Amino acid sequence: MAAELHPVTSHTPAARALGALGQVLRIVIYAGLCFIFLVPFVWMVFGGVRAENEIFANLIPFSLRTFIPIEWTLESYLTVLGLNETGRMLGYNFGLNLGNSFFVSTTVVLLSLVFNTMGAYFFARLRFPGKKYLILFVLATFLVPFEATIVPLYVVVRSLGLHNSYGALIVPWFASPFVIFSLIQFMRDQIPYELDEAALIDGAGYWTTLWRVIVPNTVPGLVTNGLLEFQFIWNLFYWPLISVTSKDIQVLQVVIAGTLGQNQQYWGRTFAGSSLATIPVVVIFLLLQRYYVQGVASTGVKG
Amino acid sequence: MAQRFDAAGATPAANLFSRVFTWRRRQLIVAFLFVLPALINFLTFRYIPIFEAAYASVFEYSLLGGFGDFIGLAHYQRMLTDPVLWRAFQSTVMFVVYKVPLQIVLALALALYLSRQSIGTAIVRSAILTPMVTSLIIVSIIWAMIYHSQNGLIQSILLSLGLPKVAFLSDVNNAMPAVAAMMIWKDIGFSFIIFVAGLKGIPEMYYEAAIVDGANRWQSFRHITLPLLRPIMMFVIVTQTIFSFQVFVPIYQMTQGGPLDSTKVIVYYIYQMGFRFQEMGYASALSIVTLVILLTVSWLQMRVLKVDE
Repeated sequence: MAAELHPVTSHTPAARALGALGQVLRIVIYAGLCFIFLVPFVWMVFGGVRAENEIFANLIPFSLRTFIPIEWTLESYLTVLGLNETGRMLGYNFGLNLGNSFFVSTTVVLLSLVFNTMGAYFFARLRFPGKKYLILFVLATFLVPFEATIVPLYVVVRSLGLHNSYGALIVPWFASPFVIFSLIQFMRDQIPYELDEAALIDGAGYWTTLWRVIVPNTVPGLVTNGLLEFQFIWNLFYWPLISVTSKDIQVLQVVIAGTLGQNQQYWGRTFAGSSLATIPVVVIFLLLQRYYVQGVASTGVKG
Repeated sequence: MAQRFDAAGATPAANLFSRVFTWRRRQLIVAFLFVLPALINFLTFRYIPIFEAAYASVFEYSLLGGFGDFIGLAHYQRMLTDPVLWRAFQSTVMFVVYKVPLQIVLALALALYLSRQSIGTAIVRSAILTPMVTSLIIVSIIWAMIYHSQNGLIQSILLSLGLPKVAFLSDVNNAMPAVAAMMIWKDIGFSFIIFVAGLKGIPEMYYEAAIVDGANRWQSFRHITLPLLRPIMMFVIVTQTIFSFQVFVPIYQMTQGGPLDSTKVIVYYIYQMGFRFQEMGYASALSIVTLVILLTVSWLQMRVLKVDE
């Protein structure tokens, strides 16, 4: 902000040189920041497509060769996807686990958008005695610390017989107080009351009004919250780790941590598996960056 | 809204009145059905676990053996003399202390430095966003490789510069700062985005007025930016403290609480108790105490927020 208010005046050659120097400095700093934030990903992505023995052999000196493969190969990918002899022998089937991750995340997002939108519509528009106590009931869950209550959550899910099933990964998250709260704000601030009142006066029920009038006007809010919810579920680790033991329904992140890691010998496989769990999501989020950033920003501004 | 309209249409005629009455009641039931699924979810998966934990905490209880004897507050008494718990508590606080202040200062610096709109800042912003949207377990795996004491990327840089190797995750003193540094790298984007939004909310004319009054950049930052950013800053501090206090994934993957318990944080200890040592009763009691600590922290911090307004 303040930077624009003190423009460097470039009248004299000395000032111009100083301006150019500042420009160069800025580019150097930008490049440095990009290096810090991206270099682990560069190492991971290229490490997944190079011959296994190259990874350690080219560590020193630290140079482009540390990253860029000499011999490009998809061997590590074939192994972790269980598509070659080694992979089949070791029981890798990351394609299935990646599918599980996507299935669980998208199902939760869809369910969560339906039920949270309905809940938000109730709080934002419908009349109901004692509604302010119900909203307290919802908002108080903000205060329940997440990771600290995972163990008791497991006890509950187990007593419901949901453990070790897709149900364990999906059912606890089909409603979210954060999404409800955010959608209530959106409906209150962005949609004129006249719109849905008119629909109700015309004889439409609550259900029709919600899906025909409110939802089409809530799309940006739904996209934003869908992205945040997707990220939340995709990133869950502790929960699937303890609630699911079968490798066939487990999500990719847990299987990678369980079978590959820094302590096993073949880093190429770890790089390939990690890339599988990372690249699709990073691409989606960078494409929809605008909505995602808005969502994160609004968590702070609303407080 | 609909009810206001119906009431206006009601007439004194008794049968019409009762028909409107039952219609209104049906409308209330329909309305309630909209919120019911969410309420059931919160009750079952957010409230009942707390009661369940409170209940389990007064029993001998393990996942394999089921419920055993009622033992009252024995688990809570045990905590008072559990040396590992106190180490875990200290380690957790150290993690928060390493992470939160540095992350907030760096995020604010980045937000100020990258506030102008250009292709350069757009690229850097996307770079900051990338670790944020990558799952924490993957980030932990990759960073454990970067920190690796033999073949890590950082060792490669150090040796290429002619410096000796450094042990990170296997060193008692370095392990926790190393994990905290990675977590700052991963989470800084959240604080950064919130600060950028907060900075945009400060009217430009304040700065213009400050220039007219002869203020320099530091003075406008000190007397305009900081005070106006304070509520947002408080929010970021509160949420980051609560989240960081519950750190689990990087500890699980990178250090397993070691070396010598130096990174054994509270949530990792609860996990070990419940799932490794089969002491679910004690784990539940620990969950309850952690919950109470976190509620107290957020209550205190929210009071500070209120005082601000």
